[in-house]
Amino acid sequence: MTDTTRTAVRTEDVWKIFEHDGVTVEAVRGVTVRIDPGEFVVLAGPSGSGKTTLLNLFGGLHRPTRGRVWVDERDISNLSEHDLSRLRLERIGFVFQAYNLLPILTALENAEFSLLLRGVPADERQRRVRALFAKIGIGELEDRRPSKLSGGQQQRVAVARAVVGEPALVLADEPTANLDSVASGALLDMMTRLNEDLGTTFVFATHDPDLMARARRIIRLVDGAIAPDHRP
Amino acid sequence: MMTRLVLLMHLALRNLRRQARRSVLTALAMVLGLALLVFTRSLGDGAHETWIKAGVRLASGHVAVMNPDYLPRRAIENRLSGAAAQAALTALARPELAPLVETAAPRLELHALASSPRGAVPVVVYGVDPAVEPAFSQLDIRLVEGRTLTAADRLQAYVGVGLAQRLHLQLGDRLVLTTQGADSSIADQLVRVAGTFRSGLPEVDDGVVHIPLATAQAWVGVGNDVSSVAVLLHGSRETERVVRALATALGDDHRAVALPWQTTTPELDSAVKIDDYGNYVFHFVLLLIVALAIVNTILMAVLARTRELGILRALGLRRRDTATLVLFEGTLLTTVAGLIGALVGLAVTFGIFRHGLDFSSFYSGEMTAAGAIIEPVMIPEFRLDHMLQNVAWIVIIGVVASLYPAWRATRIEIAEAMKFEG
Repeated sequence: MTDTTRTAVRTEDVWKIFEHDGVTVEAVRGVTVRIDPGEFVVLAGPSGSGKTTLLNLFGGLHRPTRGRVWVDERDISNLSEHDLSRLRLERIGFVFQAYNLLPILTALENAEFSLLLRGVPADERQRRVRALFAKIGIGELEDRRPSKLSGGQQQRVAVARAVVGEPALVLADEPTANLDSVASGALLDMMTRLNEDLGTTFVFATHDPDLMARARRIIRLVDGAIAPDHRP
Repeated sequence: MMTRLVLLMHLALRNLRRQARRSVLTALAMVLGLALLVFTRSLGDGAHETWIKAGVRLASGHVAVMNPDYLPRRAIENRLSGAAAQAALTALARPELAPLVETAAPRLELHALASSPRGAVPVVVYGVDPAVEPAFSQLDIRLVEGRTLTAADRLQAYVGVGLAQRLHLQLGDRLVLTTQGADSSIADQLVRVAGTFRSGLPEVDDGVVHIPLATAQAWVGVGNDVSSVAVLLHGSRETERVVRALATALGDDHRAVALPWQTTTPELDSAVKIDDYGNYVFHFVLLLIVALAIVNTILMAVLARTRELGILRALGLRRRDTATLVLFEGTLLTTVAGLIGALVGLAVTFGIFRHGLDFSSFYSGEMTAAGAIIEPVMIPEFRLDHMLQNVAWIVIIGVVASLYPAWRATRIEIAEAMKFEG
């Protein structure tokens, strides 16, 4: 029976196999999973379990070797590079472990970047970013370059950049890995609030216990596959 | 679309500013390269202009109006009618052409035998208008002894110093010129040496005689016909324009054509082209070095920003956007550096060296090439078209040199770029 319920992201028997110098690595092996809109989900597992690769498959940063991936009910498995770029721009937000803000832009410019690419007028962009900055407590930092921000502040800007376009899905890879416990806690509070207030779907790849403790669902991965005792 | 391009331009500018030291150093290489290009090209243009003018002064001018069959035998039967010569002179005096013309000299060129009691040698006799010839050939300033021809002269001759020596001629000595007349009969003309000149060109000094035009016309019986009307222009670049205007003015006269100096003095044209070719090779090497500097800088910038370009892609920038970004950076850098380089080049060339670069200390006597005396002082010439070409070349090279780094930027895999520790 076909499930017609809308999902934020789902996969069907998705595989990702890398080959380097004749060595084959099955990073993701036959994962079938669905994540509904508004979920706050953690992909957990030891290093090398395929968390990041699966997250990259969700975000169209990797193409599946086999199987299919849908984002917002759109099959992205065979999308062109151009369409994938458009999808990432309009439907997906990314938060990276190393913040990855653009050093040449201010906090506000970083956060409004995807809106700018989408052609949102300047007034509207700035109104939305400022409202979000105020909500997450970095309103006074909008003119600072990343080099003038702490790690926690940079990651907040990165989260703002990810959610400001109201994407179907925010993918966060080890977002708290470089933060101390205070900054990490504040960031998690903020993301939890955004999830609750805005209904943004968050999918994390992490082994941070604090983050896992806040997750409403944990998908455990072992050797690239969903752990046998786990029912996603 | 426009928003995206503006954004990319904005990012390119900021990236260049972020790597200010690297950008400035690369720009400096380009500024120096272009300044050198402007300097050498201006000097080359000036030297060529001087060279061409020196060559055509002693030949047929920048433009020569003559019988279409006159070249290459230069036989008297293929002369230009007096009416056609007058039509050409009238056309050259018109307001649209007059400002371009330095002088125009009707000439009757005759191949003759010059005899004195001490011997006989073949010569080229030019029947010239004493009123305009000095301004044309400038042989008056090359006077060695005696005087130049005047309008009152009839049987006087102005001869090359080498010829005078070969025939042991002194001022006032008689010289018999023998040639074939218009009616194919042998005609003699007795003249006296009024003065001698040294042009510096052996073939001129040893074998050229100037006599009054009217005397030459009467001698060979051609009425008021001439061999050609030689036109000296202020600049060789106006040659084509004057040739076209004269062709129109000469209309249906099929016995008269206006020919550019490249046709009447092909050896000079070839020499200039060969010299140009050498300059092109030098300029090519210069621009290649500039291109390598750009490739290096932009490629380094791309490789160092692998992670950043990956982020941009993850945020929704397309592959072609990253290529455009890199192209913008290369183009911006080269355009700004190109404009500054052009200004620096102009300032150095026409500020410091406007009176020319003097190589006379390297000269021993006259240096000649392709029938022209090479002046020891090279005076730069400003040519707007060449200046625009120089800047255009730098910009084109900037774009071309950025293509490879731009292509590399499009090859970045986002997930791999995220692992990059730039």
